[in-house]
Amino acid sequence: MSEPVDLEKLPRLSELFRFFSAGKHLNRVSEPVLWAELEAQQSAYEALFSALGYELRVDARGFAWFQTQESSSAVNRVTRHLALLFMTLFDYQADAGLPLVQFEQWVIDHRLLDTVHEHHQEVLEAEELDRHALTGIMERAVNYGFAMNDNGAWRLLPAVHRYVEHFEELAAQVDSSEDWLLDTTQTQEPTDAGEGTES
Amino acid sequence: MSIQHGFQRLVLLGSAGYQRAELPLDDSVSLVAPNNAGKTSLINALQFLLIINQKRMDFGAHEWDKTRRFYFPDNSAYILLEVSLPESGTLVLGCVGKGVGHEYEYFVYAGSLDVEDFRLEDGSLVAQPQLSEHMAARKRLVHTYSSSDFTDLLYGRRRSGRGHAPDFRVFRLENAQDAEVYQKVLTRTLRLDRLTSGEVKNYLLQIFKRDQPDAGINFKNEWENAFKDVNLARAYYQAALNQQQTIDELEQRQEERLSLRGKVVAQRPGIDEVLQHWENHYQTRHQALTRQQSELEQTLGELQNHHGELRVQREKLSGQIEALAQQGRRQAELEQHFALINARGELEQRWEEARRARDEQLTLVNNLNGRELATIDRDIADNHRQQKDIQRELATLHDNLYQALAAVLEPAQLERLNRALSEQVMTLPSQRFELDKQSLREWLEQGDERLDLPGLILELNELEGVFSQRSEQELRQRLTELEQQAQRLADQREAGQAMARTKQDLESREKALKAIERDLEVWDEMARLQAGASEREQALTEARQAQERTEKELSGFQQRFQGLNREIAETAEAVRELERQYEQIDRLRHQRPDQREPLLSLAEQSHHSWLAESAVTLESLAEVFERYQQDCRRILELDRLIHQTLVELRSGGLTKHQNCGSEEEEVGRIVDFRHQLSKEAESLERMARSAVVTVTSSLRDLHGGLLSFEKRISEFNRLIGRRQLSDLETFRISPKRQLGLVWAIEKLVDTAETVSSGESFEIFSQGSVLDDQDLDWARRILVEEGDARSGLRVGDLFQLQFVVGKKGAEPESFDDIDSAASNGTVLMAKLVTGLAMLYQMQDQRHGVRAVCYLDEALALDADNQRSLIDAASEFGFSLIFASPAPLTTARYCVPIQERDGFNHISRRSWQILESLEEAAE
Repeated sequence: MSEPVDLEKLPRLSELFRFFSAGKHLNRVSEPVLWAELEAQQSAYEALFSALGYELRVDARGFAWFQTQESSSAVNRVTRHLALLFMTLFDYQADAGLPLVQFEQWVIDHRLLDTVHEHHQEVLEAEELDRHALTGIMERAVNYGFAMNDNGAWRLLPAVHRYVEHFEELAAQVDSSEDWLLDTTQTQEPTDAGEGTES
Repeated sequence: MSIQHGFQRLVLLGSAGYQRAELPLDDSVSLVAPNNAGKTSLINALQFLLIINQKRMDFGAHEWDKTRRFYFPDNSAYILLEVSLPESGTLVLGCVGKGVGHEYEYFVYAGSLDVEDFRLEDGSLVAQPQLSEHMAARKRLVHTYSSSDFTDLLYGRRRSGRGHAPDFRVFRLENAQDAEVYQKVLTRTLRLDRLTSGEVKNYLLQIFKRDQPDAGINFKNEWENAFKDVNLARAYYQAALNQQQTIDELEQRQEERLSLRGKVVAQRPGIDEVLQHWENHYQTRHQALTRQQSELEQTLGELQNHHGELRVQREKLSGQIEALAQQGRRQAELEQHFALINARGELEQRWEEARRARDEQLTLVNNLNGRELATIDRDIADNHRQQKDIQRELATLHDNLYQALAAVLEPAQLERLNRALSEQVMTLPSQRFELDKQSLREWLEQGDERLDLPGLILELNELEGVFSQRSEQELRQRLTELEQQAQRLADQREAGQAMARTKQDLESREKALKAIERDLEVWDEMARLQAGASEREQALTEARQAQERTEKELSGFQQRFQGLNREIAETAEAVRELERQYEQIDRLRHQRPDQREPLLSLAEQSHHSWLAESAVTLESLAEVFERYQQDCRRILELDRLIHQTLVELRSGGLTKHQNCGSEEEEVGRIVDFRHQLSKEAESLERMARSAVVTVTSSLRDLHGGLLSFEKRISEFNRLIGRRQLSDLETFRISPKRQLGLVWAIEKLVDTAETVSSGESFEIFSQGSVLDDQDLDWARRILVEEGDARSGLRVGDLFQLQFVVGKKGAEPESFDDIDSAASNGTVLMAKLVTGLAMLYQMQDQRHGVRAVCYLDEALALDADNQRSLIDAASEFGFSLIFASPAPLTTARYCVPIQERDGFNHISRRSWQILESLEEAAE
């Protein structure tokens, strides 16, 4: 039997619940007070939210969220746009030689967005994302806890690791499919049947 | 069984529901009893002797009072632990209830633990008050202790200092300060299955705390303290920067004030001195000017008079010349008029002829006008009567009998009555009237002055009779006269017609006569003119000459007038000016702000030397004095403006020099500061960099603590990695850095190093430390993190992860140890980790075997059990398994029995298990 949860020890319960149930990611960097509270009573919060039917995921890298299975088409679209933006951003930054693991230190300003849009215009506009839309997506990222405003620019938050891992998975799948291709080509060496000489 | 130093036996007497319990602690034990039979209670009793501090004991959900009552229901409840120590030998550590309030007391005595030592002759247990005496009788010297003393001695914080009191330092730690965390970990070893990941992190941090900063870093305070002066200086600098224009204005005003002060100081003596002579000067000058003015006016007057005379003379001469000229022209005119007449006699003759013709005509006219007097009288009388008739008729023009009768009578009737009342009626012949004298008299007797006609009454007074009966002779004569009159009238009529022509002739002759008379006069005039022509010519010449002289003299007057007027005006102006100056100086003299503070002591105040001319003359006194007063007022105004500007600057943040002296000094310092702004900026930059270095020293310690901890964990992992844990190939603890936090710390530390390395100027040429965006972001992270956690500690910089990898599989990282592997493997991991922590803290030179407890041991397979036993033994612990069924892997198998409602563990019930291999040995 699980230990009883003392609500007196959870003074920020409603605040955290509102936060998570709005679909936001809680980041240690941007909400250190809430994060400290969550960290101190993590098991209690996990148990309580689980009892309410919510699965609280806490990542030791400093972000937490409510894991949901279903999502609306609007959320899917937002997620897709965020993924696209982050992917183009990461791609550009990688080409610039910046280590992706330090994405939290990047300053995403309008000049950078201009450049990213310019470099990936075709891909972005295939999704009907013009330059102005990128700014909107960044603001949506702020709303969902993937970024925060900093003096007229943005900084990415640790929650973006979720997208990074997804990108890495995709990259690994691509690599593995390439490996498979390599394997299949290697196994399909032409047999020496003595026939098939060139005429 | 070889005796190892350490725990030997645990005995409970009358405590925790055990009538008597003896548990071996020198080797692994399988404690066998059904669930909730008291296994955990037995082991938990050790907390009283090993943990001692109530706050650090853990009895699960049980309240402390209940716990105390459970373990010490009366004053003969005992918890006893037999230990074997290298220096002290065998000792018994005990805890006995005191009865009242279920309190308890600690005691120690040397010697082995014999349960019978605690029995009285009647078989009951000795009560606490009698314990010492009772044990003394058995040659046991019991030493009692307070809980704090017991703790200190148990953990080696101090040696026993009392006489023969045994030294029962059981836990000899590398560092005595580790006692608290040792107790915590030790508590947890009694329930290893409940060891959590968070506890592992906390315990490790405490174990390795000597490598870490003592206390959490309040980065915000550190930053604020370090930058306090910088912020103050920067605020002041910014205040000056933002108010440069105002400061420049202040400087200008101050310069102006200093100059004016110097000027006033220089001028004041001269003005005062001149003022003394002013009155006299004024009087003298005023008299002189006034006198001069009157003299000039007099001169002017005389000149004007003379001018007037000359003008009159000029007029006269002009008239005279004109008259003479006129005479000349008249003479010429007359000579031309009489060009055909040679002598006066001709005119005289003509006059005579004209006179005669006129006289003749006059006689004719007079004759035509002769008439007899009587006729004229009658004509006059007739004229008068006719005038009266007409006047009366005029008076009754609109209201007379005729009109009244015309209104009531027919025209024919009116005409009859008019004819009846006419003056011709009295001349009617007899055949045209009938007279009834009687009736007529009677009728006329009535009315006196009234005449009553039928339908008409007439007032006769004031009427005159129009008929008077004249005689025939009179009538004939009258008729003859009238006929003569008629003839004369006819002649007169004829003459009248001729009269007009006659009169015209008379008039023309009169005119002719008069013309000739005029000609005669004119001839005489011409003669006179001709006679005086030469004199007249001469007079004319003289007059013209005189006129010329007069004109010439008059022409010079204009200039002389102008000159005199100018002089008079100037003199008047000078008088007015002097008077104006007098009034001005008098007014200024009575309004001297420089005669009171702050201007009175101006010479003692700072001022610039006045180098310009400051001499004051009587003539310039008013102007100079006015300017002087203006300067004084300006100084006062500048005092006010400068004060106001200072207030404005202070409210804008320039408060540093506010209390450093006078306002004057403050102004000077502010102005100097303004001129040094660029240097101040550099100084500020240096201060900021120095502050960064200062504030990062604690961060450096924190970062160093993290590195040190990581190194320690690496060493710890070697310790726990020595044992094979179940099927795990890999098991280690990994401190996963909180990248954002660590980056922020490294950012600040690196910045500090860059700053202090001397490369700063190039790097910071683009901006200052204070404006570095990344630096500020790093600062914000650390400040907010520190605020949220009331300080930054090494433990906040990482999350502990458990890296677990089975054989042939990639290691995985788990935040929670419980989810890292299967139950048995996790138990092993917890055990190894917990015991390794304890091992880490112990002084290996004085190893003492302790115990650790694992509940639900049946969940482990035999291999794991053995492995755990060996691992615990390696770390210096005897492992106690608790399970409903016995485990053959342990050395001892100890069942808990129940008797009379109490649990019971007797030594006799111990079962020692030995493998055949060991037995063969």
